[in-house]
Amino acid sequence: MAEKSIIINGLCKSFGEIKAVNNLSFSVKEGELFAFLGVNGAGKSTTISILCGLLQMDAGQVLVCGHDIADEASTVKEQIGVVFQNSLLDSSLSVFDNLKSRAALYGITGNAFKSRLRELQELLELAPLLKRPVGKLSGGQRRRIDIARALLHKPKILILDEPTTGLDPQTRQTIWNVISSLRRDNKTTVFLTTHYMEEAADADHVVIIDKGSIIAEGTPLELKNRFAFDSLTLYGVSEEAVQRLEEKYERVGDHFRVILSDVSQVKDMLLEHPELFNDFEVVKGKMDDVFLNATGKKGLGGDLS
Amino acid sequence: MTTVRTLIYRNCKLFFKDKGMFFTSLITPAILLVLYVTFLGNVYRDSFVTNLPEGVVLEEGLIDGFVGGQLISSLLAVSCITVAFCSNMLMVQDKANGTRSDFDASPVNPSALSASYYLATMLSTLLICYITAGIGFAYMGMVGWYLSAGDVLLLLLDIFLTVSFGTALSSVIHHFLSTQGQLSAVGTIVSAGYGFLCGAYMPLSQFSEGLRNALSFLPGTYATSLFRTHALEGALREMETVGLPSELTETLKDVFDCNIYFFGTKVSQPICYLVLCGSTVLLLGLYVCLNFGTQKRK
Repeated sequence: MAEKSIIINGLCKSFGEIKAVNNLSFSVKEGELFAFLGVNGAGKSTTISILCGLLQMDAGQVLVCGHDIADEASTVKEQIGVVFQNSLLDSSLSVFDNLKSRAALYGITGNAFKSRLRELQELLELAPLLKRPVGKLSGGQRRRIDIARALLHKPKILILDEPTTGLDPQTRQTIWNVISSLRRDNKTTVFLTTHYMEEAADADHVVIIDKGSIIAEGTPLELKNRFAFDSLTLYGVSEEAVQRLEEKYERVGDHFRVILSDVSQVKDMLLEHPELFNDFEVVKGKMDDVFLNATGKKGLGGDLS
Repeated sequence: MTTVRTLIYRNCKLFFKDKGMFFTSLITPAILLVLYVTFLGNVYRDSFVTNLPEGVVLEEGLIDGFVGGQLISSLLAVSCITVAFCSNMLMVQDKANGTRSDFDASPVNPSALSASYYLATMLSTLLICYITAGIGFAYMGMVGWYLSAGDVLLLLLDIFLTVSFGTALSSVIHHFLSTQGQLSAVGTIVSAGYGFLCGAYMPLSQFSEGLRNALSFLPGTYATSLFRTHALEGALREMETVGLPSELTETLKDVFDCNIYFFGTKVSQPICYLVLCGSTVLLLGLYVCLNFGTQKRK
């Protein structure tokens, strides 16, 4: 059984009257992709700040690779690499100068830095960017540098705070390829927050928080089964024909979407009404629906006949 | 140590690359130069000539050398502080733009960060002030050079000590700032006010007694006096050589703040140095305590 990379027990943090994190408890297994979701202001960034040693908790316990952050903050920080929501590198300095100064924070200097830079150069294709000022790079290039900065000290845990926000699909794919290779080759634990639910769908474990507390957790499949609905889409049929199925449905353009409480229903429908199944598709519930339904926002299944 | 060295390199490079920070730091010396060229030079010159007794005639070169000494002493007394404040802006900018979070998420010792800000500010400021001094010396060489090697060395020492003081003072004040707005406010106040407060623009002897006594509590006043003494000493020596009575040069020293008084008692040069070094050590101690306090709170 995999070791726990992160254990959070009864974490609390308030800012005045506002409880940003309220008795939060969860754990992250070594090597897994962990998605930490929630609407803006749910307490994600506060939790991450505490995890990185940037904020002091009011109560609770945070263990990272077996080290308590309250007593061994320095050791914990050696295990963690963070890609912040916004790039925090020096925009007027070159990529090389930025990475050199950040590596020095971990005591990586001289030949050790050069050697690590070579590895990162290969992993993230940094060579053409090294001499360019960070401020002159595109969003995607800058994100690659942010990831390189986070990986300088070979952390066991990589925290990605909305790493792909604002990036084009191609760049997002590039970033995810790098993250996948890190997990595959180095068994790096990835702690992810994102607003792109399709990214969370690939996670090993998902926690959704709201107002500082957990409102749902599990694997994406478990969450989909609980909070999302599978659906059957029928093309080229009339509404009267769909009504014969006696299930909830909605018209979407020129086709109909039937909400399924259980995907096995399709087998029976197909046998009973084969005339409806000339052109169809069965779609599993999406993480978007999980998120919207779990956080109390209206998701699929809201406006049904 | 390598970590601190790398961070110092980063801080210095950012300062010289950031045109905003770099040129802001040069505003005060530039304003002083413009003021000097447009009217302050004549004010200094007239003020000097009116303080000469009737019948005393001095060579133009000697007068120019004396007035030039006033200029570079004013320039250096102000620059050592204002440039330090501008150079140390990085400490606040790193907090304002979030870079400090990036540093704090690493296991680097916070004292290494504090030391790197202090030393980088000192290095950048020393570099600018020594270049300013070099330009000032070249100017004095053109209008009338009366400085001895000892005067030059003492001026260089004054720069070093005043920059150390300015860096320590800015480090303590900047410790409490976290936004660009606060930084701009402090920068404006220091740039506009320090020259008057330390007696660099107008000698303290021209102020009312109450204000003079109040300003004598500020360590910067003693730094200005040291700059004045070492920049004017050569010209005053030459005046005595050409026949000016020592009572008169002593009066000139009073008028132009070479002699500084604390509630009527003349403060000797060693005491001026002691005040400057002592206040630097005190401010440094405070800076260390503040950083230690912040570290514990985290």
